[in-house]
Formats: sequence, C-alpha cells, structure tokens
Amino acid sequence: MAPLFGLPAAGVVALLLYLPFLWTTYVSFTQYDGLASPVWTGLANYKAMFSDPDLTGALVNTLLWVVGMVTLPVVLGLLIAVLTYGHKWGTWLRLPFLLPYAISGVAVGVIWGFVLQPDGALGQALGFFGLPGAHTGWLQAGPGNTLMMIVAVTWQAAGVNALLFVVGLQSIPGEPLEAARLDGAEGFSLFRHHLWPQLRPITTVVIGLSIVGSLKTFDVVWVMTQGGPGTSSETLALSMYKETFVLNDYGQGAAIALFLSLVTFAASILYLRYQLGDAREQG
Amino acid sequence: MSRVKTAFLMVLGLIWLAPVYLLVVNASKSVDGYDAKTVWKPAGFSLFSNFGDAWSKAALGDTLVATTMYSVIAPVLAVLIGAAAGYAIVVLRLKRGFLWFVFIFGGTIFPLQMILMPLFSGYANSGLYDTRVGMIIVYTAISVPFSAFVMRNFFTGIARSVFEAAVVDGGGLFRIFRSIYLPMAGSALAAIFILQATFVWNDLLLGLTLSQSDSVRPIMPALTGLQSTYGGASLPTVLAGGLLVSLPTVILFLAAQRFFSRGLALGQF
Repeated sequence: MAPLFGLPAAGVVALLLYLPFLWTTYVSFTQYDGLASPVWTGLANYKAMFSDPDLTGALVNTLLWVVGMVTLPVVLGLLIAVLTYGHKWGTWLRLPFLLPYAISGVAVGVIWGFVLQPDGALGQALGFFGLPGAHTGWLQAGPGNTLMMIVAVTWQAAGVNALLFVVGLQSIPGEPLEAARLDGAEGFSLFRHHLWPQLRPITTVVIGLSIVGSLKTFDVVWVMTQGGPGTSSETLALSMYKETFVLNDYGQGAAIALFLSLVTFAASILYLRYQLGDAREQG
Repeated sequence: MSRVKTAFLMVLGLIWLAPVYLLVVNASKSVDGYDAKTVWKPAGFSLFSNFGDAWSKAALGDTLVATTMYSVIAPVLAVLIGAAAGYAIVVLRLKRGFLWFVFIFGGTIFPLQMILMPLFSGYANSGLYDTRVGMIIVYTAISVPFSAFVMRNFFTGIARSVFEAAVVDGGGLFRIFRSIYLPMAGSALAAIFILQATFVWNDLLLGLTLSQSDSVRPIMPALTGLQSTYGGASLPTVLAGGLLVSLPTVILFLAAQRFFSRGLALGQF
C-alpha cells in the first residue's frame, strides 16, 4: 500500500525529469536536427564546445558570471547581514535590498536594460555628478556588457544572501560571543575570530547556491542583450537555447546542457552534503 | 560607530532603491510626455493608462489569466503529490525509503537546460505543445521534488504515536493521510505553495520553449515579447508591463517573508 503514495511523485519525476535527462545525454553524443534520426558522432559536440570561438566565448562569459556571483553579491550580502544584525532597525534597513529579490529575472532585465541605455539613467547620473563615463554604451561591447549584467543580478541577489547570512548569525550561540566581547574583542577582530568561523557552513551554502545559479544565467541576459551584440555576452545557458531552438543543432545544445549539468552537480555537492546529511540523521 | 553604520546602510539602501524609483517614475509617464534625456525627473501620472496599454496592446490580459492558473493549479498538485510521497516514506515506512527520497529529490539537481529539448520534442509529438494542460504538467513536475523534500522533513517531526492511534481507531491509510496528516501540515503546505507559485509566475525558459500563442504563453515570455516589439518611444508601456507583472510577487513576498527565508535555507532558489 505504501508505494501507492510514493508512486505519483516518483512517476512524474521519472517521466518529465529523468527520461528527458537520459535522452539529452544520448543526443549529446550525436548529430541530430530533431527530424532525421540521431547519428553517433562520439565526442565531436564536446570538442566543438572548446574550439568553436562562439562557444568558447560563452564559456569564458559563464566563468565570468561564476566568479562575479561568488564575489560581489556574497561579499555585499555578508556586509549587509553583519551591519544590520542586532541593529535596532535591522529589519527595515535590510528591506531595500530584499525588494529586488521578489522581482523576476525578466523584470530585472527590463529595469536594468532601461537604466543602462546609452545616455540613459546611469549616464545622466554620472554626468550630473561630473563623473567620467556618462556616454558609455554599457551593453554594447564585451566583456563590459557581461560585467554590467553581473551588477544587475548583484542588485537582485545581495539581499537574499544577506538574509541567509542573518539566519546563520542567528544560529550562533550568544554566550561565547558575550564572553569574547567582555575580553575586549570588537569590530573587525570580533568578526574575524568569533563570527566568521561559525558562519562557515552557511557561507558554503551561499557560495554553492551562487555557483549553481550563475551557471544557469539566462533570463537577465535574454532580456537585456539576447547574448549580443553578436555573441559577445552569450552564456552557455543561452548558447544551449540558441543551438537547439534557433540553429536546430540538437546534439550541440545537448552537449552544452550536459556539461552545465556536470558542473552544476559538482557545485551542488558542496551544499547538498549538508542538507542530505541533515535529512539522513533525521530519518 | 553605530551612527556610521546606520548612515552607510541608508546610503547603500537608497542606491538600491534607485532602479525601483526609476521604474515607477518612468512607467508613470505618458507615452508622449516621456523624454529620454530626463529620466530622473517625474512627469505626470499615466500609470494606469500605461497598464491598460500593456494589458490590451500586448495581450498581457490573456497571458495573466493563463499564468494565474498555472501559478495556482501546478503548486497545489505538487504540494499534494509531494505530501503523499513524504507520507509514504516517513509515516508508512516505505521499504528503501531513503532511496525513494533521493530519487525524487534528485530530480531538481540538474538545470532546466537538460530537459528542454526532449520536453519540446515530446510535447510536439503528443499534442501537449502550446496547451495549458501541458504547461500545468511541466510546472507540477518541476515543483514535486522540493515539495517532497519539505514534506518528508515535516512528517519526520510528527510523533509515531499519532499514526498508531489513528490505525487503532480503524482509519484507512488514505483517510489518515487526508484527515490527519494533511491538516496538521498546513503551514508547511502553505510555505511550499508560496515558493512554487512564485517560481511558476517568474518562469521564462519553460514558457519560451513549450508555448507560443497568447492564451497559453506565460507572463514572463510575453513581457520579453512586449519589449522587443515596441521601440524606445513607448518605453513607459514596457516599464508599466514590468511593474505590473512584478506586483503580485512583491506583495506576496512582503506578506510572507519568513516563508521565503525558510525556503532559501533549503536551497530552493
């Protein structure tokens, strides 16, 4: 009787997630246009990924995204969390940073596409303060366009990371901290020697999530530049979509998808270890 | 020191709110009154007529109806299916329960890119492409693993004696599930529902891949369409569209912030 309750979940997951996963894996080793039968070509699609200049460009951009997302929003999130934690108005001071998180990637793209127009809001603000760069075409050349889009997603993601770090701070027992304070630890030294070591687990989760999220970067880029001009701001997630649904090169798209999955999986292990470890202890 | 901290946070906060300010101010300008050289200055208030334009001209109206449907039905189905799995694994002590759990939860580990192409082909061959039923099915499937994960953890926290007493009282397994375990899980079910409804509402990639007509296509792909068909002249309309589609999730987020922080810690997004 018990399997009856588990079957719907296992069935729907098997049919709509695992089965497609297996088919994509197979197709990634073939030449396939979605119409004729797939022809086995071994590792050809994978080799193309590291030799075709458009795809290696996307690979470099994706790497930029990963590096950008594990630094900017993580450092900012940590800063916001530490500064607002225990602050009288902490919840209110955090709110401006959390607001963008409730907005979809598409909306973030629409807003920042507008802000970054040539001579748009950012340009006008820089001009107003007499700063250089007022006439920069922010999205018109790589790798600058990728960097600006990383800024846009930082705007969206920093608050979430702050929230996660606050959860981490809340789980630190208060008494040893008080003792450290009485011993004269304060400011950066208190953070470095007493808070930071205890934030390690949550930091792992935040960084794991950032890596996984950045590998999948699609929405914001799709809205702001469609990967262009040319392919200058394309990410692998975008290349996968274009190869498959625009160029009908299903095999190439599948190879990119599998590559992304493997890297994602490796990064997931970072933080899933904690989650599944917990689950195993409980059940 | 404390004052420096507060001042720093307030300045940073203002910078963070600037794009929101720009969105609201420029989405409120009339299409004729919009001037690309003075985007920081408010000018007039035509927000609602711009909403109207976005609604009718870009057919956001149709897509809003469809997206609302997806965002309600798919999470409800996923919550029930996931709860049933959690119940089977924890309460009914399904044989090799941990394996079942890993199998179901494993469904979320790989990125959507991995399933797009087969789903597109499969949907095209089975007539599910560009149908509302098709969209509901795929959104449900995507939401099931997380739902099962949370429900399994939740049921683990319920005393075994509850189940034993219910069996002694002569309840069938389905009735025990429906009238004892589901009602007890109210808050967990609500949390999953809110998180998954937000995910479905904000989805771009699945909608882009599996639909094309105005009455089926979800809101986010429709909004990207709005952006590319309109030129710079009617930017206020595009921005009004962006604001319009963001309102439901922002309101939901502000009303249910603690659910979000809990979901985050579980690694959903």
